[in-house]
Amino acid sequence: MKKNTVYATEGSVWKSLLLTFPMVLLILLFISGGKPDLTSTDKAFAFLFTFVFLVFLFFQILYTGKTDKYRAIGFIALSLFFALTFIVNLVRARGSMTFSEETLLACEIPFCHIVTTMIIIPAVLTNSIIFPGSIIGGFASIASMLVIVVGVSLALGRGFCSWGCFYGGWDDATSRIMRKPKIKKINPVFRWMSFAVLLIIAITAAISLNPVYCDWLCPFKTVTEFEKVTSFTVLMKTVVFLSLFIGLVIILPVLTGKRIQCATFCPMGALLSFTNKINAFDVRISKDQCSNCEKCTNTCPTLSLNTPDLEAGKPSITCMKCGKCIDACSKSAIHYHIRGTPPDRNFSWARNLFLFPSFMLLVIFLGGPMQTGIMLLFKLIKTGSLL
Amino acid sequence: MKKFIAIQAYLWAIACFLIIPVTFISNDSLASQLAKLPFMKIHPRYSGGEINRSYLSGGLQVTVNKPVYWSRIASGSSGFVQVAFSAIDSLPVTIHENIDFDFDDKTDFNVLIDTKTGTTLLKQQNLKVRSVDVSSRVKNNWIIRVNIEE
Repeated sequence: MKKNTVYATEGSVWKSLLLTFPMVLLILLFISGGKPDLTSTDKAFAFLFTFVFLVFLFFQILYTGKTDKYRAIGFIALSLFFALTFIVNLVRARGSMTFSEETLLACEIPFCHIVTTMIIIPAVLTNSIIFPGSIIGGFASIASMLVIVVGVSLALGRGFCSWGCFYGGWDDATSRIMRKPKIKKINPVFRWMSFAVLLIIAITAAISLNPVYCDWLCPFKTVTEFEKVTSFTVLMKTVVFLSLFIGLVIILPVLTGKRIQCATFCPMGALLSFTNKINAFDVRISKDQCSNCEKCTNTCPTLSLNTPDLEAGKPSITCMKCGKCIDACSKSAIHYHIRGTPPDRNFSWARNLFLFPSFMLLVIFLGGPMQTGIMLLFKLIKTGSLL
Repeated sequence: MKKFIAIQAYLWAIACFLIIPVTFISNDSLASQLAKLPFMKIHPRYSGGEINRSYLSGGLQVTVNKPVYWSRIASGSSGFVQVAFSAIDSLPVTIHENIDFDFDDKTDFNVLIDTKTGTTLLKQQNLKVRSVDVSSRVKNNWIIRVNIEE
Protein backbone atom coordinates (compact mmCIF):
# COMPACT_ATOMS: atom_id res chain seq x y z
CA MET A 1 0.00 0.00 0.00
CA LYS A 2 1.35 3.44 -0.91
CA LYS A 3 2.15 5.59 2.08
CA ASN A 4 0.26 8.88 2.32
CA THR A 5 2.27 12.08 1.97
CA VAL A 6 2.48 13.58 5.42
CA TYR A 7 5.41 15.96 5.48
CA ALA A 8 5.59 19.27 3.64
CA THR A 9 8.95 18.41 2.07
CA GLU A 10 7.99 14.88 1.01
CA GLY A 11 8.05 14.63 -2.79
CA SER A 12 8.82 18.33 -3.18
CA VAL A 13 12.30 19.06 -4.53
CA TRP A 14 12.07 22.81 -3.91
CA LYS A 15 10.82 22.58 -0.35
CA SER A 16 13.40 19.90 0.43
CA LEU A 17 16.18 22.02 -1.11
CA LEU A 18 15.02 25.06 0.81
CA LEU A 19 15.14 23.20 4.10
CA THR A 20 18.42 21.50 3.19
CA PHE A 21 20.12 24.87 2.67
CA PRO A 22 20.59 25.76 6.39
CA MET A 23 21.93 22.25 6.96
CA VAL A 24 24.38 22.75 4.06
CA LEU A 25 25.84 25.73 5.91
CA LEU A 26 26.00 23.78 9.17
CA ILE A 27 27.67 20.83 7.43
CA LEU A 28 30.24 23.20 5.88
CA LEU A 29 30.90 24.72 9.26
CA PHE A 30 31.20 21.49 11.21
CA ILE A 31 33.19 19.35 8.79
CA SER A 32 35.71 22.06 8.01
CA GLY A 33 35.81 24.00 11.28
CA GLY A 34 34.95 27.03 9.16
CA LYS A 35 38.15 26.67 7.14
CA PRO A 36 38.25 23.81 4.60
CA ASP A 37 41.70 22.30 4.13
CA LEU A 38 42.04 21.84 0.39
CA THR A 39 45.84 21.87 0.29
CA SER A 40 46.11 18.46 -1.38
CA THR A 41 43.99 16.50 -3.83
CA ASP A 42 43.32 13.78 -1.25
CA LYS A 43 42.18 16.29 1.36
CA ALA A 44 40.03 18.16 -1.13
CA PHE A 45 38.40 14.93 -2.31
CA ALA A 46 37.81 13.69 1.25
CA PHE A 47 36.22 17.01 2.18
CA LEU A 48 34.04 17.23 -0.93
CA PHE A 49 32.95 13.59 -0.73
CA THR A 50 32.00 13.93 2.96
CA PHE A 51 30.16 17.16 2.25
CA VAL A 52 28.19 15.77 -0.70
CA PHE A 53 27.47 12.52 1.19
CA LEU A 54 26.01 14.34 4.20
CA VAL A 55 24.01 16.82 2.12
CA PHE A 56 22.63 13.93 0.06
CA LEU A 57 21.53 12.05 3.19
CA PHE A 58 19.75 15.05 4.66
CA PHE A 59 18.07 15.94 1.39
CA GLN A 60 16.88 12.36 0.95
CA ILE A 61 15.46 12.28 4.50
CA LEU A 62 13.42 15.37 3.69
CA TYR A 63 12.47 14.48 0.12
CA THR A 64 11.53 10.84 0.63
CA GLY A 65 10.04 11.23 4.12
CA LYS A 66 12.12 8.19 5.14
CA THR A 67 14.17 8.86 8.23
CA ASP A 68 15.76 5.59 9.28
CA LYS A 69 16.76 4.48 5.78
CA TYR A 70 19.18 7.39 5.29
CA ARG A 71 20.03 7.93 8.97
CA ALA A 72 21.31 4.36 9.14
CA ILE A 73 23.71 4.90 6.21
CA GLY A 74 25.34 7.84 8.00
CA PHE A 75 25.19 6.14 11.39
CA ILE A 76 26.84 2.94 10.19
CA ALA A 77 29.47 4.98 8.33
CA LEU A 78 30.15 6.79 11.61
CA SER A 79 30.92 3.56 13.46
CA LEU A 80 33.12 2.19 10.68
CA PHE A 81 35.11 5.38 10.10
CA PHE A 82 35.39 6.07 13.83
CA ALA A 83 36.83 2.60 14.48
CA LEU A 84 39.20 2.86 11.49
CA THR A 85 40.61 6.25 12.45
CA PHE A 86 40.72 5.46 16.18
CA ILE A 87 42.62 2.21 15.63
CA VAL A 88 45.07 3.74 13.13
CA ASN A 89 45.77 6.62 15.53
CA LEU A 90 46.38 4.16 18.36
CA VAL A 91 48.73 2.03 16.30
CA ARG A 92 50.63 5.15 15.23
CA ALA A 93 50.90 6.41 18.82
CA ARG A 94 51.39 3.17 20.74
CA GLY A 95 52.31 0.60 18.13
CA SER A 96 49.22 -1.52 18.72
CA MET A 97 45.54 -1.49 19.74
CA THR A 98 46.50 -2.49 23.24
CA PHE A 99 47.21 -0.27 26.20
CA SER A 100 49.75 -1.15 28.84
CA GLU A 101 50.49 -0.43 32.49
CA GLU A 102 52.29 2.68 31.24
CA THR A 103 49.11 4.10 29.67
CA LEU A 104 47.13 3.36 32.84
CA LEU A 105 49.76 4.89 35.14
CA ALA A 106 49.99 7.99 32.97
CA CYS A 107 46.16 8.31 33.10
CA GLU A 108 45.96 8.51 29.32
CA ILE A 109 42.97 6.27 28.58
CA PRO A 110 40.41 8.10 26.39
CA PHE A 111 37.11 8.63 28.23
CA CYS A 112 34.08 7.22 26.45
CA HIS A 113 30.48 8.22 27.16
CA ILE A 114 29.58 4.77 28.58
CA VAL A 115 31.94 5.35 31.54
CA THR A 116 29.54 8.08 32.73
CA THR A 117 27.26 5.37 34.10
CA MET A 118 29.97 4.17 36.47
CA ILE A 119 31.45 7.41 37.76
CA ILE A 120 28.34 9.10 39.16
CA ILE A 121 27.94 7.24 42.48
CA PRO A 122 31.71 7.09 43.20
CA ALA A 123 31.95 10.83 42.40
CA VAL A 124 29.34 11.50 45.08
CA LEU A 125 30.95 9.14 47.59
CA THR A 126 34.64 9.85 47.03
CA ASN A 127 34.54 13.30 45.43
CA SER A 128 36.68 11.98 42.59
CA ILE A 129 36.49 10.23 39.21
CA ILE A 130 37.28 6.54 39.11
CA PHE A 131 38.86 6.44 35.69
CA PRO A 132 42.51 6.55 34.51
CA GLY A 133 41.96 9.38 32.03
CA SER A 134 42.79 13.05 31.94
CA ILE A 135 40.38 15.56 33.46
CA ILE A 136 41.07 18.14 30.78
CA GLY A 137 43.25 18.36 27.70
CA GLY A 138 44.39 15.59 25.41
CA PHE A 139 42.16 13.29 23.39
CA ALA A 140 38.67 12.57 24.82
CA SER A 141 39.24 14.17 28.21
CA ILE A 142 36.73 13.48 30.98
CA ALA A 143 35.44 17.07 31.26
CA SER A 144 35.05 17.42 27.51
CA MET A 145 33.13 14.14 27.15
CA LEU A 146 30.89 14.91 30.14
CA VAL A 147 29.92 18.24 28.55
CA ILE A 148 28.97 16.36 25.39
CA VAL A 149 26.99 13.73 27.33
CA VAL A 150 25.01 16.41 29.20
CA GLY A 151 24.40 18.54 26.08
CA VAL A 152 23.32 15.66 23.90
CA SER A 153 21.13 14.15 26.64
CA LEU A 154 19.31 17.46 27.00
CA ALA A 155 18.90 17.94 23.27
CA LEU A 156 18.06 14.45 22.07
CA GLY A 157 17.61 12.15 25.06
CA ARG A 158 18.17 8.57 23.95
CA GLY A 159 18.17 9.81 20.38
CA PHE A 160 21.95 9.90 20.90
CA CYS A 161 21.93 6.09 20.58
CA SER A 162 20.71 6.31 16.99
CA TRP A 163 22.26 9.55 15.79
CA GLY A 164 25.57 10.04 17.55
CA CYS A 165 26.86 6.94 19.33
CA PHE A 166 29.98 5.78 17.52
CA TYR A 167 29.40 2.21 18.70
CA GLY A 168 25.70 1.82 17.90
CA GLY A 169 26.28 1.63 14.16
CA TRP A 170 27.90 -1.78 14.58
CA ASP A 171 24.80 -3.65 15.67
CA ASP A 172 22.60 -1.33 13.61
CA ALA A 173 24.58 -2.68 10.63
CA THR A 174 24.57 -6.34 11.63
CA SER A 175 20.85 -6.23 12.49
CA ARG A 176 20.16 -5.35 8.83
CA ILE A 177 22.16 -8.19 7.30
CA MET A 178 19.25 -10.66 7.01
CA ARG A 179 16.06 -9.42 5.42
CA LYS A 180 13.99 -11.91 7.41
CA PRO A 181 15.25 -12.59 10.91
CA LYS A 182 15.59 -16.19 12.07
CA ILE A 183 14.40 -15.37 15.59
CA LYS A 184 11.17 -13.44 15.25
CA LYS A 185 9.65 -13.40 18.72
CA ILE A 186 11.61 -11.79 21.51
CA ASN A 187 9.99 -11.18 24.84
CA PRO A 188 9.74 -7.38 25.22
CA VAL A 189 10.75 -7.78 28.85
CA PHE A 190 14.33 -7.94 27.56
CA ARG A 191 14.19 -4.20 26.89
CA TRP A 192 14.51 -3.67 30.64
CA MET A 193 17.66 -5.77 30.83
CA SER A 194 19.91 -2.77 30.13
CA PHE A 195 18.46 -1.14 33.28
CA ALA A 196 19.51 -4.21 35.26
CA VAL A 197 22.97 -3.96 33.70
CA LEU A 198 23.08 -0.25 34.62
CA LEU A 199 22.06 -0.96 38.21
CA ILE A 200 24.54 -3.79 38.65
CA ILE A 201 27.52 -2.00 37.12
CA ALA A 202 26.75 1.28 38.95
CA ILE A 203 26.67 -0.54 42.29
CA THR A 204 29.68 -2.72 41.48
CA ALA A 205 31.68 0.32 40.35
CA ALA A 206 30.78 2.12 43.58
CA ILE A 207 31.83 -0.85 45.70
CA SER A 208 35.04 -1.70 43.86
CA LEU A 209 35.90 1.86 42.72
CA ASN A 210 36.61 0.32 39.36
CA PRO A 211 34.78 1.02 36.06
CA VAL A 212 33.80 -2.63 35.81
CA TYR A 213 31.93 -2.45 32.50
CA CYS A 214 34.99 -0.94 30.77
CA ASP A 215 37.32 -3.29 32.57
CA TRP A 216 35.46 -6.53 31.93
CA LEU A 217 32.39 -6.28 29.74
CA CYS A 218 32.48 -3.61 27.05
CA PRO A 219 32.22 -5.47 23.72
CA PHE A 220 33.40 -2.42 21.79
CA LYS A 221 36.92 -2.81 23.11
CA THR A 222 37.19 -5.19 20.14
CA VAL A 223 37.02 -2.23 17.76
CA THR A 224 38.81 0.38 19.85
CA GLU A 225 41.45 -0.51 22.45
CA PHE A 226 42.01 -3.19 25.05
CA GLU A 227 44.46 -4.17 27.73
CA LYS A 228 47.63 -5.97 26.68
CA VAL A 229 47.44 -9.63 27.72
CA THR A 230 50.09 -9.98 30.40
CA SER A 231 48.29 -12.24 32.89
CA PHE A 232 45.57 -14.87 33.15
CA THR A 233 43.10 -12.25 34.47
CA VAL A 234 43.65 -10.01 31.43
CA LEU A 235 43.30 -13.07 29.19
CA MET A 236 39.93 -13.80 30.82
CA LYS A 237 38.84 -10.19 30.30
CA THR A 238 39.81 -10.48 26.63
CA VAL A 239 37.80 -13.68 26.22
CA VAL A 240 34.78 -12.05 27.89
CA PHE A 241 34.66 -8.88 25.78
CA LEU A 242 35.42 -10.73 22.54
CA SER A 243 32.63 -13.24 23.27
CA LEU A 244 30.22 -10.41 24.05
CA PHE A 245 31.13 -8.66 20.80
CA ILE A 246 30.60 -11.82 18.77
CA GLY A 247 27.37 -12.69 20.60
CA LEU A 248 25.69 -9.34 21.17
CA VAL A 249 27.00 -7.25 18.30
CA ILE A 250 27.22 -9.86 15.54
CA ILE A 251 25.34 -13.14 16.00
CA LEU A 252 22.20 -12.07 17.90
CA PRO A 253 21.54 -8.90 15.84
CA VAL A 254 21.94 -10.95 12.63
CA LEU A 255 19.53 -13.63 13.91
CA THR A 256 16.94 -11.27 15.41
CA GLY A 257 17.18 -8.13 13.27
CA LYS A 258 17.37 -6.15 16.53
CA ARG A 259 20.11 -4.00 18.01
CA ILE A 260 20.62 -6.49 20.84
CA GLN A 261 23.71 -4.90 22.40
CA CYS A 262 22.11 -1.43 22.47
CA ALA A 263 18.69 -2.65 23.56
CA THR A 264 19.65 -5.14 26.24
CA PHE A 265 23.21 -4.62 27.42
CA CYS A 266 24.29 -0.98 27.12
CA PRO A 267 24.16 0.82 30.50
CA MET A 268 24.51 4.20 28.80
CA GLY A 269 21.37 3.50 26.78
CA ALA A 270 19.50 2.78 30.01
CA LEU A 271 20.76 6.00 31.59
CA LEU A 272 19.82 8.02 28.51
CA SER A 273 16.31 6.49 28.60
CA PHE A 274 15.67 8.60 31.69
CA THR A 275 16.70 11.74 29.80
CA ASN A 276 14.02 10.86 27.21
CA LYS A 277 11.62 12.14 29.87
CA ILE A 278 13.03 15.68 29.93
CA ASN A 279 13.81 15.87 26.25
CA ALA A 280 11.59 17.89 23.88
CA PHE A 281 11.10 15.13 21.32
CA ASP A 282 9.33 11.81 21.39
CA VAL A 283 7.46 9.47 19.07
CA ARG A 284 3.68 9.19 19.06
CA ILE A 285 1.27 6.69 17.54
CA SER A 286 -2.09 7.92 16.33
CA LYS A 287 -4.59 5.34 17.54
CA ASP A 288 -7.19 6.53 15.03
CA GLN A 289 -4.94 5.78 12.08
CA CYS A 290 -3.29 2.65 13.47
CA SER A 291 -4.55 -0.57 11.89
CA ASN A 292 -2.81 -2.77 14.46
CA CYS A 293 -0.81 -4.50 11.74
CA GLU A 294 2.10 -4.60 14.22
CA LYS A 295 4.67 -3.89 11.50
CA CYS A 296 6.17 -1.31 13.83
CA THR A 297 6.44 -3.68 16.80
CA ASN A 298 8.16 -6.25 14.59
CA THR A 299 10.44 -3.61 13.07
CA CYS A 300 11.50 -1.72 16.20
CA PRO A 301 15.20 -2.59 16.63
CA THR A 302 15.22 -1.81 20.34
CA LEU A 303 12.13 -3.71 21.54
CA SER A 304 10.59 -0.36 22.49
CA LEU A 305 7.21 -1.04 20.92
CA ASN A 306 4.72 -3.77 21.73
CA THR A 307 0.92 -4.08 21.69
CA PRO A 308 0.31 -2.26 25.02
CA ASP A 309 2.57 0.57 23.78
CA LEU A 310 0.42 0.90 20.65
CA GLU A 311 -2.63 1.17 22.87
CA ALA A 312 -0.86 3.79 24.98
CA GLY A 313 -0.03 5.73 21.81
CA LYS A 314 3.72 5.93 22.43
CA PRO A 315 6.76 3.68 22.64
CA SER A 316 8.46 2.94 25.94
CA ILE A 317 11.13 5.25 27.37
CA THR A 318 13.79 3.05 25.76
CA CYS A 319 12.93 4.50 22.31
CA MET A 320 16.08 5.62 20.44
CA LYS A 321 14.17 7.79 17.94
CA CYS A 322 15.75 6.03 14.96
CA GLY A 323 12.57 6.44 12.92
CA LYS A 324 12.41 2.80 11.76
CA CYS A 325 8.83 2.35 12.98
CA ILE A 326 7.84 5.64 11.31
CA ASP A 327 9.27 4.45 7.99
CA ALA A 328 7.59 1.06 8.36
CA CYS A 329 4.07 2.33 9.07
CA SER A 330 2.00 2.16 5.88
CA LYS A 331 -0.81 4.14 7.53
CA SER A 332 1.45 7.06 8.52
CA ALA A 333 0.21 6.61 12.06
CA ILE A 334 3.61 7.13 13.75
CA HIS A 335 5.34 10.51 13.95
CA TYR A 336 8.02 12.47 15.70
CA HIS A 337 6.33 14.75 18.21
CA ILE A 338 7.20 17.66 20.46
CA ARG A 339 6.10 17.06 24.03
CA GLY A 340 3.43 19.44 25.19
CA THR A 341 2.06 20.02 21.69
CA PRO A 342 -1.08 18.37 20.27
CA PRO A 343 -0.07 14.92 18.97
CA ASP A 344 -2.38 14.94 15.95
CA ARG A 345 -1.02 17.89 13.95
CA ASN A 346 2.09 19.83 12.86
CA PHE A 347 3.89 16.62 11.93
CA SER A 348 6.29 18.46 9.61
CA TRP A 349 7.27 20.98 12.27
CA ALA A 350 7.93 18.30 14.85
CA ARG A 351 9.93 16.15 12.43
CA ASN A 352 12.03 19.03 11.12
CA LEU A 353 12.71 20.42 14.58
CA PHE A 354 13.92 16.96 15.61
CA LEU A 355 15.88 16.30 12.41
CA PHE A 356 18.02 19.44 12.61
CA PRO A 357 19.71 18.79 15.99
CA SER A 358 19.89 15.04 15.48
CA PHE A 359 21.39 15.22 11.99
CA MET A 360 23.74 17.96 13.17
CA LEU A 361 25.01 15.57 15.84
CA LEU A 362 25.65 12.94 13.18
CA VAL A 363 27.49 15.53 11.07
CA ILE A 364 29.67 16.60 14.00
CA PHE A 365 30.66 13.04 14.92
CA LEU A 366 30.98 11.68 11.37
CA GLY A 367 32.58 14.67 9.60
CA GLY A 368 36.11 14.32 11.01
CA PRO A 369 36.46 10.52 11.04
CA MET A 370 34.99 10.22 7.53
CA GLN A 371 37.45 12.69 5.99
CA THR A 372 40.39 11.12 7.83
CA GLY A 373 39.12 7.64 6.94
CA ILE A 374 38.90 8.47 3.23
CA MET A 375 42.45 9.82 3.27
CA LEU A 376 43.61 6.65 5.05
CA LEU A 377 41.95 4.54 2.37
CA PHE A 378 43.75 6.59 -0.30
CA LYS A 379 46.98 5.94 1.53
CA LEU A 380 46.22 2.23 1.66
CA ILE A 381 45.65 2.16 -2.09
CA LYS A 382 48.80 4.15 -2.85
CA THR A 383 51.25 2.63 -0.36
CA GLY A 384 49.64 -0.62 0.76
CA SER A 385 49.68 0.58 4.36
CA LEU A 386 47.32 2.53 6.58
CA LEU A 387 50.11 3.73 8.85
CA MET B 1 -3.36 27.12 28.80
CA LYS B 2 -2.81 24.43 26.15
CA LYS B 3 -1.53 27.07 23.76
CA PHE B 4 0.85 28.42 26.40
CA ILE B 5 2.23 24.93 27.03
CA ALA B 6 2.58 24.34 23.29
CA ILE B 7 4.53 27.60 22.85
CA GLN B 8 6.84 26.58 25.69
CA ALA B 9 7.25 23.16 24.10
CA TYR B 10 8.25 24.68 20.75
CA LEU B 11 10.68 27.01 22.51
CA TRP B 12 12.25 24.05 24.30
CA ALA B 13 12.50 22.21 20.97
CA ILE B 14 14.27 25.22 19.42
CA ALA B 15 16.55 25.36 22.47
CA CYS B 16 17.40 21.69 21.90
CA PHE B 17 18.40 22.62 18.35
CA LEU B 18 20.75 25.27 19.74
CA ILE B 19 22.18 23.06 22.50
CA ILE B 20 23.97 20.76 20.03
CA PRO B 21 26.16 23.42 18.31
CA VAL B 22 26.75 25.21 21.63
CA THR B 23 27.88 21.94 23.24
CA PHE B 24 30.52 21.39 20.60
CA ILE B 25 31.57 24.93 19.71
CA SER B 26 31.93 25.92 23.37
CA ASN B 27 33.23 22.53 24.46
CA ASP B 28 36.66 23.81 25.54
CA SER B 29 35.36 26.61 27.73
CA LEU B 30 32.50 24.53 29.18
CA ALA B 31 34.91 21.67 29.89
CA SER B 32 37.37 23.97 31.67
CA GLN B 33 34.53 25.33 33.81
CA LEU B 34 33.41 21.77 34.62
CA ALA B 35 36.99 20.75 35.43
CA LYS B 36 37.02 23.34 38.24
CA LEU B 37 34.31 21.48 40.18
CA PRO B 38 35.58 19.79 43.36
CA PHE B 39 34.80 16.23 42.26
CA MET B 40 36.67 16.64 38.97
CA LYS B 41 39.90 14.99 40.02
CA ILE B 42 41.16 11.49 39.37
CA HIS B 43 40.76 9.03 42.24
CA PRO B 44 44.14 8.36 43.91
CA ARG B 45 43.78 4.68 43.00
CA TYR B 46 44.39 5.75 39.39
CA SER B 47 46.47 8.92 39.81
CA GLY B 48 48.77 7.31 42.37
CA GLY B 49 47.93 9.74 45.16
CA GLU B 50 49.29 13.08 46.23
CA ILE B 51 53.01 13.75 46.33
CA ASN B 52 54.38 13.41 49.83
CA ARG B 53 57.97 14.36 49.23
CA SER B 54 60.52 14.54 46.48
CA TYR B 55 64.32 14.36 46.73
CA LEU B 56 67.45 13.80 44.67
CA SER B 57 69.24 10.50 45.05
CA GLY B 58 72.16 9.36 42.90
CA GLY B 59 71.20 11.55 39.96
CA LEU B 60 67.55 10.52 40.12
CA GLN B 61 64.61 12.55 41.34
CA VAL B 62 62.70 10.27 43.71
CA THR B 63 59.06 11.18 44.36
CA VAL B 64 57.24 9.35 47.13
CA ASN B 65 53.46 9.73 47.15
CA LYS B 66 51.12 9.51 50.10
CA PRO B 67 49.87 5.96 50.69
CA VAL B 68 46.56 5.26 48.97
CA TYR B 69 44.06 3.07 50.77
CA TRP B 70 40.75 1.97 49.37
CA SER B 71 38.42 -0.88 49.95
CA ARG B 72 34.70 -1.08 49.34
CA ILE B 73 33.09 2.35 49.39
CA ALA B 74 35.07 3.93 52.17
CA SER B 75 38.76 3.71 53.01
CA GLY B 76 39.93 0.27 53.84
CA SER B 77 42.84 -1.63 55.17
CA SER B 78 44.92 -2.31 52.07
CA GLY B 79 46.36 -0.05 49.47
CA PHE B 80 49.62 0.97 47.82
CA VAL B 81 52.32 3.56 47.90
CA GLN B 82 53.60 4.98 44.61
CA VAL B 83 57.20 5.95 44.05
CA ALA B 84 58.45 7.61 40.86
CA PHE B 85 62.05 7.77 39.71
CA SER B 86 62.74 10.51 37.20
CA ALA B 87 65.85 11.11 35.17
CA ILE B 88 66.76 14.27 33.34
CA ASP B 89 68.36 12.42 30.42
CA SER B 90 67.74 8.70 30.43
CA LEU B 91 66.99 6.19 33.14
CA PRO B 92 69.93 4.15 34.44
CA VAL B 93 70.01 0.41 33.75
CA THR B 94 69.46 -0.32 37.43
CA ILE B 95 67.69 1.67 40.12
CA HIS B 96 68.49 0.75 43.70
CA GLU B 97 66.77 2.78 46.37
CA ASN B 98 65.72 2.63 50.02
CA ILE B 99 62.27 4.10 50.55
CA ASP B 100 60.85 5.52 53.74
CA PHE B 101 57.22 6.29 53.01
CA ASP B 102 56.01 6.90 56.57
CA PHE B 103 58.79 9.37 57.56
CA ASP B 104 59.99 7.51 60.63
CA ASP B 105 63.57 7.79 59.36
CA LYS B 106 63.66 4.02 58.87
CA THR B 107 63.69 2.32 55.48
CA ASP B 108 60.32 0.67 54.83
CA PHE B 109 61.40 -1.18 51.72
CA ASN B 110 64.25 -1.47 49.35
CA VAL B 111 63.81 -1.82 45.58
CA LEU B 112 66.16 -3.01 42.89
CA ILE B 113 64.82 -2.34 39.40
CA ASP B 114 66.31 -3.50 36.13
CA THR B 115 64.95 -0.87 33.73
CA LYS B 116 65.86 -2.95 30.67
CA THR B 117 63.82 -6.01 31.65
CA GLY B 118 61.46 -4.48 34.19
CA THR B 119 62.48 -7.01 36.82
CA THR B 120 61.79 -5.51 40.24
CA LEU B 121 63.06 -6.97 43.49
CA LEU B 122 61.46 -5.82 46.72
CA LYS B 123 63.01 -6.24 50.14
CA GLN B 124 60.46 -5.53 52.91
CA GLN B 125 61.74 -3.88 56.05
CA ASN B 126 58.36 -2.88 57.40
CA LEU B 127 55.63 -5.40 58.19
CA LYS B 128 53.06 -3.26 56.40
CA VAL B 129 54.84 -3.73 53.06
CA ARG B 130 53.46 -6.63 50.99
CA SER B 131 54.50 -6.92 47.35
CA VAL B 132 55.16 -5.06 44.12
CA ASP B 133 51.86 -4.22 42.47
CA VAL B 134 53.12 -2.35 39.41
CA SER B 135 56.56 -1.53 38.08
CA SER B 136 56.67 0.21 34.74
CA ARG B 137 58.36 2.86 32.64
CA VAL B 138 56.18 5.92 32.13
CA LYS B 139 57.81 8.22 29.57
CA ASN B 140 61.12 9.27 31.15
CA ASN B 141 60.15 8.01 34.60
CA TRP B 142 59.98 4.65 36.29
CA ILE B 143 56.97 4.17 38.53
CA ILE B 144 56.44 1.47 41.11
CA ARG B 145 53.41 0.81 43.26
CA VAL B 146 54.03 -1.31 46.33
CA ASN B 147 51.12 -2.98 48.10
CA ILE B 148 50.86 -2.07 51.76
CA GLU B 149 48.52 -2.67 54.67
CA GLU B 150 47.27 0.07 56.94
